[in-house]
Amino acid sequence: MTTTFHNNPGKRKSLPDGGVKPIGRPFWLLSPGVIWLLLFGLAPLAFMLMMSFWTSTIFGTKPDFSFDNYARVIVTDLYRDQLFKTLRIAFMTTVLTVFISYPVAYLLSRLKGMQKALFVLMVFLPFWTSYVIRAFVWLPILGRNGAINNMLQALGVIDTPIDWLLYNEGAVFLGLVYVYTLFMTLPIYLSLEKIDPALIEAATDLGAKPGSIFRRIVLPLSWPGVLSGCIMVFLLSISAFVTPQLLGGASGIMYGNVIASQFLANNNWAFGSALSITLIAIVLVLLLISSRWIGVQHVFTGGRNR
Amino acid sequence: MYLLGEGIVKNMAPKNVNHKKHLSRSSLKTKTQYRGYKTALWIYAGAFYTFLYGPLLMIVLLSFNDSEIVGFPFRGFTVRWYEVVFSSPELLDSLLNSLGVGFLSATIATILALCLAMGFRHDFRGKSIVLYLILVPIIIPGIIGGIVLLIFFGFSGVRSSLWTTVLVAHVNWVLPFAFLTLFPRLHGFDRALEEAAMDLGAKPFQIFFRVVFPIIRPGIIATALFSFSLSFDEFIRTIFVTGYDRTIPVQFWGLIVDELAPQLPAMAVLIIVISIFSSAVGFVFMHRASRSTKT
Repeated sequence: MTTTFHNNPGKRKSLPDGGVKPIGRPFWLLSPGVIWLLLFGLAPLAFMLMMSFWTSTIFGTKPDFSFDNYARVIVTDLYRDQLFKTLRIAFMTTVLTVFISYPVAYLLSRLKGMQKALFVLMVFLPFWTSYVIRAFVWLPILGRNGAINNMLQALGVIDTPIDWLLYNEGAVFLGLVYVYTLFMTLPIYLSLEKIDPALIEAATDLGAKPGSIFRRIVLPLSWPGVLSGCIMVFLLSISAFVTPQLLGGASGIMYGNVIASQFLANNNWAFGSALSITLIAIVLVLLLISSRWIGVQHVFTGGRNR
Repeated sequence: MYLLGEGIVKNMAPKNVNHKKHLSRSSLKTKTQYRGYKTALWIYAGAFYTFLYGPLLMIVLLSFNDSEIVGFPFRGFTVRWYEVVFSSPELLDSLLNSLGVGFLSATIATILALCLAMGFRHDFRGKSIVLYLILVPIIIPGIIGGIVLLIFFGFSGVRSSLWTTVLVAHVNWVLPFAFLTLFPRLHGFDRALEEAAMDLGAKPFQIFFRVVFPIIRPGIIATALFSFSLSFDEFIRTIFVTGYDRTIPVQFWGLIVDELAPQLPAMAVLIIVISIFSSAVGFVFMHRASRSTKT
């Protein structure tokens, strides 16, 4: 329509659909960001992949090409067990957060007006607080001088503080669920929000019971949100470092802590690189499998753009 | 995750006006059934929000506890831990470092993300590859995002410090979020305005600065503020490349690991207030942005 009014077609780049081309040249617009990401995002990763085949000695890390590091990652009981334990903890955390979050997400999707705005905002606020702090808060709750011990002593249930509340796998679960549960709540909520109320109305009019409406309409339609939440929580949990370090003690350490110690304590960069590459490989395999149902770019937008 | 913020802004609009009609139409029997579920849900939600906020409120309480121990019993009200926080030069240094890096990395990431988002309005070959490249920093586990820069810069001979390695780590981390927040703003933008400007003979630069930019400005400000808050709270990548400089989460971590210092709760409250404040302001701008562009 606008084209007919245009008296200088040569100056203007028309698109087949009648619109005009967006301003700027894609090459120049993309270059700064792409160069940054290639240089500081991809190149360091490539370097790490290369270094995972090197060998570290007490004299430093020297270029080599050996599979020794990977052999050690897989063969050594310690590292293999840590990997399986971490996968198990991440899996359990994911399952727990689904069950904890779903009812809340469902309730939020049914609220209206100011009430909804308030409660949804309250789900957001903790996102805006550092996870280091959100892991730390459990120390003065579970510790020897913590809230629970103090309360139990005041009530006369126990005489001396109990120690087993902290520094074990249970504390790690609690911490991980606390820190990551909102990464589940939000995508589920967003996918429930998108369900057209007319569908539920129609089902009700046709005589469906609330239970079967939930099972056969709501649940399947919220699947993208659940999936996106699961991927995020799982990925965050398998690479956890802060929570197990603060709350896990010796028995609660996870793969992230094993990796970190190669760089912070042992100075075995080559082996640490191999451990890191292993973790990245697991992440990529998981994303590849889940890409059957949800694209990577949708995971981080809560399945919202689907 | 911050980009999800947009989701709620959108959903706050009263979109289901015919909801009441729907309720009155459903039979009385289902209504009473619903009520039972609803009560149970509300009780559950109460427990959930207590779980979410209880520990945080407890930290606020403990920040005023007149005791050398981070914990209970509560020995009386004091503000001395806040005095300790504000009179400690290391803490103030790390606070300034965090504010500085947060400001700079938010600026760089927002500019890069804006250019990328402008580029993404075009069709070009390899678009999905570029998108994956943008997503790399959030796909890679956080701990590796720091380590990978440690060895890369370690071998390139770049010394770890605030304005080199930490800045790069933060821009890497923030950039994908900035892009994912900004792109929908530029995508939902009414192209007819741009077209009109073009028809009237405006040059691309003029169109950008006088038409596009003013319209998406709230979205850009929101992106920058969310980016700032992400950078301000960043810990896991920073700890590996921080060298001798400290950001506030790194300083906080040091105080936990070394001695569980008594001023930790006060410091936690300060960190929470700053990052919530910047995100909340960002949120307000995002709300405005979603009104000015129609996504």
